[in-house]
Amino acid sequence: MFRYVAALFMVAGLLTGCGERKPVLHVYNWADYMKPSLVRQFEEEFNCRVVIDTFDSNEAMYARLRAGASGYDVIFPSTYMVQIMQEQGMLQPLNPDLIPNTAHLDPAYQEMAADADCTHAVPYMISNAGLAYRADSVEDVKPSWAMLDRTDLRGRMTMLDDMRETIGAALKYLGYSLNTRNVEELEEARDVVIRWKRNLAKFENEQYKNGIASGEFLLVHGYNGDIMQVMEENEHVVYIVPEEGVSIALDEMVIPVDARQVELAHAFINFLHRPEVAAENTEYVFFLCPNAAAYELIDDELLNDPSINLEPEILARSEVIEDLGEDNRLYTAVWDEIKAAR
Amino acid sequence: MHLRKPSITEWLITLPSLIWLFILFLIPTLIVFAIAFKPPDPWGGIGSGWTLDTLRSLANPNYPPIVYRTIGLSIGTTVICLSLALPTGYAIARAPAKWRRILLLLIVIPFWTSFLIRIFAWKVLLHPDGHLKQFLVFLRLADEQSMLLYRPEAVLLVMVYTLLPFAVLPLYAASEKFDFRLLEAARDLGATPWRAFREVFIPGVRRGLLTAVLMVFIPALGSYIIPDLVGGPRSEMVGNKIAQRTFVDRNLPHASALSAGLTLAVMAPMLVVLMLQGRRRDALET
Amino acid sequence: MKRSRIPLFTTIAVLVFFYLPIFVLILHSFNASRFSGSWEGFSLHWYMRLFTEREIWHALRNTLIVAASTTVVSVILGTTAAFALHRYSGRLQRGHYTLIYTPLVVPDILMGMSLLLFFVAIGMSLGLFTIFLAHTSFCVSYVAMVVLARLQDFDFSVIEAARDLGANWWTAAWRVLLPLLAPGIAAGGLLAFTLSIDDFVITFFVTGPGATTLPIQIYSMIKHGAPPLINALSTILLLVTFIIIWLVQQLSESGRKDEHV
Repeated sequence: MFRYVAALFMVAGLLTGCGERKPVLHVYNWADYMKPSLVRQFEEEFNCRVVIDTFDSNEAMYARLRAGASGYDVIFPSTYMVQIMQEQGMLQPLNPDLIPNTAHLDPAYQEMAADADCTHAVPYMISNAGLAYRADSVEDVKPSWAMLDRTDLRGRMTMLDDMRETIGAALKYLGYSLNTRNVEELEEARDVVIRWKRNLAKFENEQYKNGIASGEFLLVHGYNGDIMQVMEENEHVVYIVPEEGVSIALDEMVIPVDARQVELAHAFINFLHRPEVAAENTEYVFFLCPNAAAYELIDDELLNDPSINLEPEILARSEVIEDLGEDNRLYTAVWDEIKAAR
Repeated sequence: MHLRKPSITEWLITLPSLIWLFILFLIPTLIVFAIAFKPPDPWGGIGSGWTLDTLRSLANPNYPPIVYRTIGLSIGTTVICLSLALPTGYAIARAPAKWRRILLLLIVIPFWTSFLIRIFAWKVLLHPDGHLKQFLVFLRLADEQSMLLYRPEAVLLVMVYTLLPFAVLPLYAASEKFDFRLLEAARDLGATPWRAFREVFIPGVRRGLLTAVLMVFIPALGSYIIPDLVGGPRSEMVGNKIAQRTFVDRNLPHASALSAGLTLAVMAPMLVVLMLQGRRRDALET
Repeated sequence: MKRSRIPLFTTIAVLVFFYLPIFVLILHSFNASRFSGSWEGFSLHWYMRLFTEREIWHALRNTLIVAASTTVVSVILGTTAAFALHRYSGRLQRGHYTLIYTPLVVPDILMGMSLLLFFVAIGMSLGLFTIFLAHTSFCVSYVAMVVLARLQDFDFSVIEAARDLGANWWTAAWRVLLPLLAPGIAAGGLLAFTLSIDDFVITFFVTGPGATTLPIQIYSMIKHGAPPLINALSTILLLVTFIIIWLVQQLSESGRKDEHV
């Protein structure tokens, strides 16, 4: 027996022995949100190793950090979550000298950002959450949230397992603001989501991509870039932006106070805003990096795609999710009732 | 029990495991109960002071459906597992010695394979374009649009699948010790096979039956991954709620209160079974 | 007298039920289609892809580190615990037994939750070390139970014989008892190793940055990876499991033959 244990230790020793000297950058990001070869390029250029963990909603990421996950160097929260983390003193100030590439940022989107002059956060990608369907199985498609009422698709549809996105979709469907603090509007939205829920297979943040690709689901609520990544491989999948308006999110890059590789983290943020890197990344993940110098390098067709650059009248009806402070509880309560409803 | 002071050697070999489990099992469990009496703060921390509000909020009408579903699915799993495991344990115990070993091995192998992979295998099998669905459509038991996954029935099926070995093994162990001549005697006295099975065999393997109930029912109550992966919006269980409170809602006191409730719910059947077994042992001894 | 065939048919049905999904999984690992619905021809493509997935190898490395350390520590703690439980009785051992028995029946999610709160409360940063602590905490109980069962079947006259020959209890235990108990301890260690390798729920609660184990990796692949890749990985893991079970069978078989000589 002792021989086996010794052998196990030797295996473990061999495995740990290799390449541990290099500094390790711990990144906490959304899944499928960065071109893998760019990460390799960064590793070679800066002689380090990048370890990426993924989260599937801002709330899940924040809760993980609160529940003791410390030691991440770069995190990618959306604007409203940047505000929360900033208020909670979880972020460290950025050193502008180490991120000169922020000069390329598109000023149009800078207004949406948590802080316009990049003191704590640098914008990474713009996304919106709409609907996708299988063109080979679904007929009479209307670009509207009302699609979720289609009983002929019962059991084959999903919505995001994300309270702000999903309640937000119902609020938009009703013509309200998705940042409302009005209890009656929220209750109305709750009843809509409960009605939709009867038609859903699942509340799901990640599996919907495979699900719609494999035909398991016929209509899903998801992020534009994620769906476009699926569309690249599967011609039957189509993304639609509901005309009632959608949620727009700006995901940003932040460095938490307990980061271990602060300098490397700055280098990573700066690297992702090199125009050629930003362009290559956008062409892979199909989310728009708000880097004006990169626009010239991106294929025009992609740049002008209405699911990336929303049409003006839909844009006017769309909103960015904001932090509601104490009133977050209203959403949690409504979300609980939705989850418990039959 | 005679009273006597533990010797130094006894302390020496007891303390390592005792201290380890005291720090890493008992104290954490007590912390869960303590935090259930703390208020949450809106930013995901644990508030200061003590409160009963967290416990009171468990009476909130959103919880009972989830609790009933959890208990219902667990009872369903236990009943199905037992009704499959009883005849299986019986058949293996009565099989020729050579076959018995092979059958036992065949039952144990799935238990040795990765838990997540066994669940994933069902996702593949139950896929709407998968073979099983096509077969059911062919038999006219399902139509093209029906969905096998993401419903409570799918959760029940996969729970039975992962927990069945835990019911078969104790029932086999009990059946092996059972004197099968009793069954033949019952048949000679004119009992039908079913009656002999019910009135002679089942009481004979009672202890194994109780162990099997514990081994299936308790893990079923704590299910989390199965409803998460194959369940839909109407198959949430208490385990999912605990995970949601911890990892999404950043409400640790709430998660603690739920966990404390589940711990008590788990201890209850265990105590009942231990008492039943104890009473039986007393009855045998007198 | 004719025996009922129902038990036999139930057993066959149970075995089909056990192996059908595994069989379908293996079949699909050779499917050329990227989406696991329909069959589009035989391919080894997914097995080739596995070797280039860096994350899987990283996770495997973490899993083995945790499992090896868990095995060693829980074998030491579990074996001493079993000795104490077997040799002594009294209030201390009754408390000890309860503390060892309870983790066996507490659902994973409760153990994960309580350990997470504990680590947060004492401010320990989450990572491979906390996973190791958590795994050892439940593996100790399994090892102790397996070794205790062996001790209860053990013929203690050998010890008496050794002591008659002048050995004190500890020498007798170390030189005679331990070697004879080695198969039991090895069985406990093997159990601890497999439980550690396969644990998802507890690990999911106490894992930290970069500390991804194989089950965590598989879970995230189920959530958003390519299904055929998981099929291929599963098939390889199944194969490894079968080989290990076969080896253990062979070892215990040869052990049994030695005893007869």
